[in-house]
Amino acid sequence: MPVLKSAVDPTSEAFARNTSSMRGLVKDLRALLATTALGGPESSRVRHVERGKLLTRDRIDALLDHGSAFLELSPLAALGLYSDEAPAAGIVTGVGRVHGREVVIVANDPTVKGGTYYPMTVKKHLRAQEIALLNCLPCIYLADSGGAFLPLQDDVFPDREHFGRIFYNQAIMSARGIPQIAAVLGSCTAGGAYVPAMSDECVIVRNQGTIFLGGPPLVKAATGEVVTPEELGGGDLHSRVSGVTDHLAENDNHALLMVRDIVATLPPAATAEWSVIDSCEPLYPSEELHGIVPDDARTPYDVHEIIARIVDGSEFTEFKPEYGETIVTGFARIYGNQVGIIANNGVLFSESAMKSAHFIELCDRRKTPIVFLQNISGFMVGREYEAGGIAKHGAKMVAAVACARVPKFTIVIGGSYGAGNYSMCGRAYSPRFMWMWPNARISVMGGEQAANVLATVKRDQADIRSQEWAEEDEIEFKNGVREKYDAQGSPYYASARLWDDGMIDPVDTRRVLGMAIAASANAPLEPISYGVFRM
Amino acid sequence: MFTKVLVANRGEIAVRIMRTLREMNISSVAVFSEADRNAEHVAVADESILIGPADAARSYLDISRVIKAAQQTGAQAIHPGYGFLSENADFAAACEAAGIVFVGPSAQTIASMGDKIEAKRAVMALGLPVVPGFSEAGADDALLIEEAKNVGLPLIIKPSAGGGGKGMRVVYSHNELPAALASARREAMSSFGDDSLLLERFIETARHIEVQVIGDTFGTVINASDRDCSLQRRHQKVVEEAPAPNLPDNVRASMLDAAVEIARSVNYSGVGTVEFVVDALNPADHFFLEMNTRLQVEHPVTEMVTGLDLVELQLRIAAGEPLPITQSDVQVTGHAVEVRVYAEDGNHNFMPSSGRLVQYSVPDNVRVDSGVRQDDVIGTNYDPLLFKVIAHADTRTEAFIRMDTALQNCVVLGVANNISVLRALVQDSQVRSADLNTGLIESLGLGQSPVHPGQHEIIGAALVLTNSLTPKHPGTAWEIADGWRVGQHAETSWTLTSGPDFSTHMSVTSEGSSIWATVDDGEPVRCSIMPRPPGKDCYSVVVNELAKAVTLVIDDNRVLVGAAGSSWELNLLAAGIHDDFTSGERSLDHVRSPMPGTVVVVEVKVGDSVTKGTVLAVVEAMKMEYSLTAPHDGIVIAISAQVGNSVAKDAILAEVGPQKTNS
Repeated sequence: MPVLKSAVDPTSEAFARNTSSMRGLVKDLRALLATTALGGPESSRVRHVERGKLLTRDRIDALLDHGSAFLELSPLAALGLYSDEAPAAGIVTGVGRVHGREVVIVANDPTVKGGTYYPMTVKKHLRAQEIALLNCLPCIYLADSGGAFLPLQDDVFPDREHFGRIFYNQAIMSARGIPQIAAVLGSCTAGGAYVPAMSDECVIVRNQGTIFLGGPPLVKAATGEVVTPEELGGGDLHSRVSGVTDHLAENDNHALLMVRDIVATLPPAATAEWSVIDSCEPLYPSEELHGIVPDDARTPYDVHEIIARIVDGSEFTEFKPEYGETIVTGFARIYGNQVGIIANNGVLFSESAMKSAHFIELCDRRKTPIVFLQNISGFMVGREYEAGGIAKHGAKMVAAVACARVPKFTIVIGGSYGAGNYSMCGRAYSPRFMWMWPNARISVMGGEQAANVLATVKRDQADIRSQEWAEEDEIEFKNGVREKYDAQGSPYYASARLWDDGMIDPVDTRRVLGMAIAASANAPLEPISYGVFRM
Repeated sequence: MFTKVLVANRGEIAVRIMRTLREMNISSVAVFSEADRNAEHVAVADESILIGPADAARSYLDISRVIKAAQQTGAQAIHPGYGFLSENADFAAACEAAGIVFVGPSAQTIASMGDKIEAKRAVMALGLPVVPGFSEAGADDALLIEEAKNVGLPLIIKPSAGGGGKGMRVVYSHNELPAALASARREAMSSFGDDSLLLERFIETARHIEVQVIGDTFGTVINASDRDCSLQRRHQKVVEEAPAPNLPDNVRASMLDAAVEIARSVNYSGVGTVEFVVDALNPADHFFLEMNTRLQVEHPVTEMVTGLDLVELQLRIAAGEPLPITQSDVQVTGHAVEVRVYAEDGNHNFMPSSGRLVQYSVPDNVRVDSGVRQDDVIGTNYDPLLFKVIAHADTRTEAFIRMDTALQNCVVLGVANNISVLRALVQDSQVRSADLNTGLIESLGLGQSPVHPGQHEIIGAALVLTNSLTPKHPGTAWEIADGWRVGQHAETSWTLTSGPDFSTHMSVTSEGSSIWATVDDGEPVRCSIMPRPPGKDCYSVVVNELAKAVTLVIDDNRVLVGAAGSSWELNLLAAGIHDDFTSGERSLDHVRSPMPGTVVVVEVKVGDSVTKGTVLAVVEAMKMEYSLTAPHDGIVIAISAQVGNSVAKDAILAEVGPQKTNS
């Protein structure tokens, strides 16, 4: 296999400057992740532990195989929302290993507002279930939640992608043979009662977990009956009388051990339909990724340098290297998995789009997963390109991306703008997993372009009405637009709203992709299927 | 000379005797119990024969089976080694009756000297000093309690039969006597089949010095110098040396002469040992203690300084040859020291231990008399002696330095042992200056408080554990089990415990090629581990740039750690999940055996009301009796202990429920 040769000089001044800039971004990201990972306020955490319960992340550690990685999803969900009172949206989700197989874990954090569901909590829970569904991964719910966050019920309860969808997903997944396992480690009240009830198998902790449709206050109000939570819906009741739960545990650790035992009884996971061989590390250290991405996003660089630090042995068999050079396509391996790589190396032209569509078809036909390295300002504009049919050529690429049935993985390594986002498998194109680097930007267009476009439109309107628009006012207007786009284009803004599955240190890209590709191998591939390509 | 000799023993002494047999071109026959099928003494013998079950009384102690084995294999002589049948006059008589030579003195000599009461009487008759005491065949407790007043305090109770510390009790007040007598009788009966006891004054600051004597059937008796065996724990010898150091010439001469005179008085033929108790503060006060009519465990130190092969001499004498040497041929050259490595946990008050010898390697530049090999399973059926290390040098100091180095290079993992205590002993300044007495080990407090593993040992354990999680060639990225987390260092954590009093929590984090370990609440330290020669489990562990050699073996849920002769068993509690739950199962109500052994007494029955501390049962293992007491006031709700049953360590023997209430 051809090996990529790096032209980067790690001793150059630019490299040092880039490294320093990217390290700063990574440091900020790490600090924020560390703070968020603490969960709720200290007083809540102390009270939680004093009750003999494990903190959410400790529960996950105890559930996973010793040393297992945990590919956490959307750790910065709800960042900057709800007055920042819901770190990680009060729920921890991710993929980890239990008894040697990948599972999706959805764990409420009761130290965050009693584990209640904010709108982003619902979105994060549903995204974890979607990942389980797409990749056929068993789901483990560590339930400890007071149910919907009532002040925001209109954004939590009624709609299609709201609270009810959780149980719908459980039913659908169970029907598809994707195991649904719950451990009731705290409250499961009202709607929350359905998480264990809809599970295939569930565990409850005595004198700690409760399941009821209406809690003691509601029962008293409704019927006057006075009853303790344990009598109403405790572990003994549900394990010995109601049959709502199947296994009775003494404490968190015991319950998690029981869940592990349940996972051990599941039928074996599927194996990859693509070629997997022994892996080897890239020839160039992944730490160098920090020095490759220019500190100024407007400076172009060669994306081959990125690929060389992500793929096994830096080996890359490029497809159509001389044609449509603004996009790089080719085959490589990541942790032994054969993958197709599509990486932006400039703005998209018609040739680049057609080449990509062709390459996607190749991968799909060969059952080879596709990795998108997205750094795209968009399709080329202008009379010549419109006349050349760039819209229909772009449409071919977008159609191919949408229809390809092989697992797709997207990493936003730079800009993600406009239709470039679509053609490079943005969120709307259902990549199995999607991450952003801390230097990434995402918006319909860049702030500068938006400011100019909007200012032009506004000036045109002013001209029609023969109104004056002072230059200072225009500058102020443009600054406002720029600031708004800058704020909304930030990867933190995106991650907070679940537009991705999380932000990652570029150094972790290979590891994260390796785990995601292996996890995706659990799902069998659908039959190949395409619609009409406009020719 | 014989052409085939049966060795009626096991362990290191059987192996050692067979070595001389081989050198003398005599075929060897091993006998073995069902527990010893794969033992080394069987492997090195020319022939071997099964003589019964693990229980020594029905195998190694069964006279008729041993004689039958000799007849079946055509052995002309039986070497009894030490212990077992070596001082059993009936056995010597049975050999004679069967026309087989017993390698040792006559049945009559054994009978007169082997019985401590008889022996003392005989020595007193020679006008030699003996320790004040009282002995009378068939003396009952009442008589012994009465006579104790004449003997004086402190006194020691000893079984009339047997030796080696079994059944011995030191008593400091008359009140303690009844209980001590009962327990000594029980142990004497189970060990020797004879519960006769004698009393002796106990000399508090005493040295134990003994003389090696050799006599032939032609009336020649010589001495082969002396040995000091003062370093004892509970009357079990631990360190022995020859010649006895720090002893005035006239005292030494007096003891050598007395020993030869005693041996001659009983027409002693074979090798034997006359033991003296010497007042450490005034060596002129030395008394005859007893005579051992057999080869001693510590005979190698005499061999090293005299150049004699005592087993060879035993065989020649037994074959009727005259002694090939005279007294003037016995020359003492240099100094020799021996230590006994026991399967006893030097970190936990010498609790008997058992298990598989997961790692066993001993240095080859000193003499090692061993009966065990790597992967042998060490049980609790027999004596806990694993092997002996014997160092010989020109001077006493050099011999001790050589010994210390040898012990440092011993790797014995899987069976807790006393090497760390032995090292402390041979390094001790009082020992080095030959200021010896039989209470020294106790007064030094060795084995009383555990020596915990150091930073290199525990960090090394955490590193091998972390490395063991990830296969050499990971099949997928998920098989890299370094505890990777988004936006954090990859981290794995380990909780390791060693015995009831040591527990440590460690985390290992990696970032790129750097590895850091955090021990408990300490600061992270930079560390690494790499293999080093010679073995696959030998590592160089580097902590803060300082490298140390550590042997680390992962064996199920534990890591066996060896460094500088010391060893530890670090038990693994997997992060979080198992500890709470499994410790919850270990109820306070359960009474567990603290060690593997045999139930000898059950004091209570189901339904009995007990108070905290009431003795429920007694478990015996090796030379110790452990009383199991009620953990709290209450009712005995279950007893699974039955007298005579073998029990495993931590086996539940009884359960004590809460006090009945009146509801």
